[in-house]
Amino acid sequence: MSVPESVHQRLTEAFIEGDVEVAEAITTEALEAGVDPLGIINEVMVPALTEVGNRFQTGEYFLPELMMAGEAAEKASKLLEDAIVASGQASEPLGTVVVGTVEGDVHDIGKNIVVTMLRAHGFNVVDLGRRVAPSAFTDAAKENNADIIGMSSLMTTTRPAIQNTVNLFEELGIRESYQLIAGGGSVTGDWATEIGIGYSEDAAGAVELCKQLMDAPSN
Amino acid sequence: MQSNWLVEIMKRAQSGPFIKEKDFELKLIKRIKELVKEYDIKYDANDLVPADDDMADRVYQAGLQLFVEFGAYCQSTERQILFTHDEVVDIVAQAPSEVILGMGKDAVVMRHRGVEDPVRPIVHSGPTGLPASEEFHPQILLSYAQEPLVDCLGAGSVATYMGEGIIPGTPLELLGARRDASVAREAVRMAGRPGMHINDVAVPLTCSGKMAAFDPDAGLRSCDGILVSQMVELKTDYDQLSRVAHLYNVGGITVDLMTPLIGGLGGRAEGTAVVSVADHLLGVVLYDADYHMFSLTHLTYVNNTDPLGIWIQAMVGQALSRNTPIILLNDIYVVSGAGTKELLYECAAGAVVGTVCGFNMQGAGTTGGFNRDHFSGLETRFIAEVSRASLSLTRQEASKLIPKIMKFYEDTLSEPNRGRPFNEVYDVDTVQPTAEWLDMYYSVKEDMSKLGLKFEYAPRPKA
Repeated sequence: MSVPESVHQRLTEAFIEGDVEVAEAITTEALEAGVDPLGIINEVMVPALTEVGNRFQTGEYFLPELMMAGEAAEKASKLLEDAIVASGQASEPLGTVVVGTVEGDVHDIGKNIVVTMLRAHGFNVVDLGRRVAPSAFTDAAKENNADIIGMSSLMTTTRPAIQNTVNLFEELGIRESYQLIAGGGSVTGDWATEIGIGYSEDAAGAVELCKQLMDAPSN
Repeated sequence: MQSNWLVEIMKRAQSGPFIKEKDFELKLIKRIKELVKEYDIKYDANDLVPADDDMADRVYQAGLQLFVEFGAYCQSTERQILFTHDEVVDIVAQAPSEVILGMGKDAVVMRHRGVEDPVRPIVHSGPTGLPASEEFHPQILLSYAQEPLVDCLGAGSVATYMGEGIIPGTPLELLGARRDASVAREAVRMAGRPGMHINDVAVPLTCSGKMAAFDPDAGLRSCDGILVSQMVELKTDYDQLSRVAHLYNVGGITVDLMTPLIGGLGGRAEGTAVVSVADHLLGVVLYDADYHMFSLTHLTYVNNTDPLGIWIQAMVGQALSRNTPIILLNDIYVVSGAGTKELLYECAAGAVVGTVCGFNMQGAGTTGGFNRDHFSGLETRFIAEVSRASLSLTRQEASKLIPKIMKFYEDTLSEPNRGRPFNEVYDVDTVQPTAEWLDMYYSVKEDMSKLGLKFEYAPRPKA
């Protein structure tokens, strides 16, 4: 059953408004009525969250709206995933991204925005949090069979930790198994190119970069 | 502050309500939105410096209520450190309203300033939060310290030690911190002002690194300070609290650094103003701070000279100035860089709103911190001059003046002119601004005079 117009409209509005309770209630109601959970994800959730991301990018929305929309999506996703498993269908994420703020850096607002945006666009994101040691990145990459590793650094003094993380991937002989990208206030495109990794200057760009990397032939 | 207060804070950090950080943030977002509505706080793009005492008081009350309800989130324990309303009110009432910074003839008294206060602000300088190169760091610091209207110096941040990248928590961080403190000490000596207050050494990100900057001979002294930071919003950890303990031990000046984001967890201008007041109260109650560095920046542009930033500074300054005795320091953050007129126009807007609304001055955080060495002492001279020229302004006059200043730079906020590095706008041997950079300075000063600012010092030297 495709998504009925009334559900489509109300659920889209709930995601865009970041109304967690309403999004959960409409999702539950739609699933009980037999609406296809994959249809809800593809026809409602992804477009609504893309719109939220666009509004954030243009300055119409700020962090609270982005976070509340992300929270609404996370709650609805749990219901939808359960329904998908119960129906025997398979839901394939766009890819798996391991994300963290590098060792020594406690600034994670930018990283959190990227996590929310990536999830909104259908990526499976493993968020390692702040002050992530190089070995935690390599371990998580292997354990989660990741496609992309995203490193964030705000401070100039923590930028070398990105290089150290890249070095460890190389030393372990797994550098070519993953796409490595970085962002944050201390990172520039030139520097990222210099050390041979991808770069985006903002969250929307990070989503596009990850999509491109998933489309690109593997190393 | 009672001597066992840190002990009490540690107890509460370990026994307060447990909550995941993300849940704390989501609750905070919702509550800020409710408080903005409850206290009827409204941003008006046509009145960026509101002369509305009642709204200023409501912003304060909303911020006080927010802090009482949420306290400080301790990232080390994932618990809230909570205080009662009466505790907060009592501690704020006892907070210092003046502090002696520096020593000897170079010492200055930084005071609590009122709204439209005729007392001139103390002017802090230096590349705080900005990346500097090892090569030009000494000359850059001297360029600030030698400015007669500058009262205090921040040592800034150099990301390398002898060419090697500094990693936090390593020996290089300790060596880098001591080196930067020594460079700052030498800069104030060379400027003939050996007792000038140094407000921080920014390179270390850990408490041990900050401690390494202290050395009565070649580094920081007890008349100097270090920043004790808050993580956005209303968050602390044991490393920051340990800095408070160290400052108690050595008798140093505690500088409360908060970096609220315009468009961050506070949301729009109104919510960001409310959480900024709460941030200041955290600095009073938790850090026992001597003064408070308000380093507000836009989530995207990393400045505070846009209309939202100006309004937030106006309201936060008035709210705290009217309702507390604490000492406020406004950190002017701009998108432009050295060698551009836009930088000076942005500095002027920040200096006007800060001076009129109860702040002391700090600046300038050029290029949003993105470009290495794109700063110099000349822009701080401009902040000081504009600040002095703004002392006679009312809020109504400031509210009319600032949009006129913003016309000079508002179109560049999204595509900033990052300017040039220090060595291209100063002669690095004589540490004097180039003729071109000086010419821009006097040109912008003339523009400000045409807008009605009356400077104490002669406009452009006659040829």
